[in-house]
Amino acid sequence: MKTITEQNLRALVDALISDGKRVVGPRVAGTMTLYEPLTGGAELALGELPRRSAKETFLPLCETILTYEQGKEAVHLGDVDPVRLPETVLIGARPCDVAAAPVLDAVFSWDYRDEFFLERRRKTTIIGLACTGGDDACFCTAMGLSPADSTGSDLFLTPLKGGSFRCDAITDKGTALLAAHAGLFADGTGEPLPLAEPALGALDLEKIRAWLDGHFEDPLWEEIAARCAGCGACAFLCPACHCFDIVDEGGTAKGARRKSWDACGFGKFTNHASGHNPRDVQPQRYRNRIMHKFKYYVDKFDQRLCTGCGRCIRACPVGIDIAAVLEEINDK
Amino acid sequence: MTTTAHTIDPALYAAATAALRQEARTVLENGTAAAVIGWQAGRRAGSALPAIVTDPAGAEQLIFAPGCVNNLALYLTKAKKEVRGKGRLAIVVKGCDLRALAGLIGENQLNRADIYIIGIACPGVYGAHADRRLPLAEETVAPKCRECTVHTPTGVDVTVGTLPDLPAFTPREAAELARLEAMTPAERWRFWKEHFSRCIRCYACRQVCPFCYCEQCLCDRNRPQAVETTPRPAGNMAWHIVRAMHLAGRCAGCAECERVCPMDIPLNLLNRKMAKELKALYGFEAGLEPQEKGPLTSYREDDDQSFIK
Repeated sequence: MKTITEQNLRALVDALISDGKRVVGPRVAGTMTLYEPLTGGAELALGELPRRSAKETFLPLCETILTYEQGKEAVHLGDVDPVRLPETVLIGARPCDVAAAPVLDAVFSWDYRDEFFLERRRKTTIIGLACTGGDDACFCTAMGLSPADSTGSDLFLTPLKGGSFRCDAITDKGTALLAAHAGLFADGTGEPLPLAEPALGALDLEKIRAWLDGHFEDPLWEEIAARCAGCGACAFLCPACHCFDIVDEGGTAKGARRKSWDACGFGKFTNHASGHNPRDVQPQRYRNRIMHKFKYYVDKFDQRLCTGCGRCIRACPVGIDIAAVLEEINDK
Repeated sequence: MTTTAHTIDPALYAAATAALRQEARTVLENGTAAAVIGWQAGRRAGSALPAIVTDPAGAEQLIFAPGCVNNLALYLTKAKKEVRGKGRLAIVVKGCDLRALAGLIGENQLNRADIYIIGIACPGVYGAHADRRLPLAEETVAPKCRECTVHTPTGVDVTVGTLPDLPAFTPREAAELARLEAMTPAERWRFWKEHFSRCIRCYACRQVCPFCYCEQCLCDRNRPQAVETTPRPAGNMAWHIVRAMHLAGRCAGCAECERVCPMDIPLNLLNRKMAKELKALYGFEAGLEPQEKGPLTSYREDDDQSFIK
């Protein structure tokens, strides 16, 4: 078995950066921790769950997909070539973030292959990290995952007593990374630190899906969601939510077509050009959120669009708690 | 540092909760209101969430606790038509929330006669990232509560709960504002640029604001697009300037925008700065009394025009 000391883990970040790779990891940013490109191993901050999820490694908050400029004779279009995206290592990502990557693969390679997303995925090696600290918003275990789940990771780190990490290569990408930096790893073993203990008990996810199947119309939606403020905080912080908008910005002379995050909680999300809005009030929008995560996505891709990270619960301005909603449905 | 003198006695909230439940049951039973908007306990320790109770038996789920952070005036705006559609509403308000009601009445968004206001004597609520397992104290109290002057609301239909002398918390917002004002314009620009660069345009600040009730927000328009909607520096800066200007002279200071910002942008600092400017320039303050016209929505011949160069 391979292990790596914390010092060598930071040295690994430095080595990867000097190899010309983009290294993204948790980093202290003002009052919070965010997954951001690191400039050195010293910046790696593994102490708390980053405020935003790791999805932006593959699905940036905002990206330009083409540019245009009015020339004298013609309009010049600039295609952004996804092939030029940098080789990336995502390091120190929590299991609830990493498990979302294969979930997103399904939707971005389905009827349309999103080359921006897929090229980033192809070029990224993920080093996951077992989770030793959580709070009462965490519910990964209720989603069938665990604080030590390596789903989606290429290499997986488990914190050991004494400060070093056990390293398990999960995929060929992980094995290759391990081999390329073999000098930083050692043979050995150790006692794992106790894992985080999510507060929520087990849920019968199939029962929940079956209930949703028969309750598109139900008083529950209004009871829960009349209070919903209709912001995008839950969706934007979610590792699995992936709706995006495409807009042209700029003037007639020049501008860009950009893709940025969108959210089904927004009142305008389903607004038609005619003015008709099929999801006219907030409870209908919240229903869509739950249905999409626990029914539609399961029906279509046999995966759930939720990994139990709890970010939506922590961030909700009006205290809506998706775990409590699932518990309520589970108890019906 | 925690001292006993600076900890709020949890019994105060328990007593207010009992009185609140009684009042809510009464108004639902006697038909004063079709629904009571209050707070109920959440699943997580110390958490609370807005509750819309229509059944007298449901009054039992209402609570008042340090976790009752929300300004419920949001639910009286036309943005929440599913709530307004229920009929005459009773609403539970803390003193700070009452300012928003006065503002909405002044802007003809509400008729005072159409609502029943249950004021609640409030010793304070938790700050955004407080550990809600702890009692309310110096480290856990919301910044706005440190400088609160309206612990017991007045001009309401009924007040529930009573307050003893409360501990004085150390003010912070005034100090932050002074720090901001001491900066050069270039430093201040850099300060806000840095904060706004983190904005993800989730619009939580807009959506919880009782005064952001426009059915068509300028920032959602795309034909023509007035403000870039993508979370990039130019659009972010424009959005926050639009927000601050639209709230100047209207903002009730509930600080909900700042509380809910997932990116910890100190939005209330901007609101307070605007309020201060409005007071200095026009002698105007958004307050507890409904006022039909604010300085930025009215014209007077003697308005200061020295800024026109």
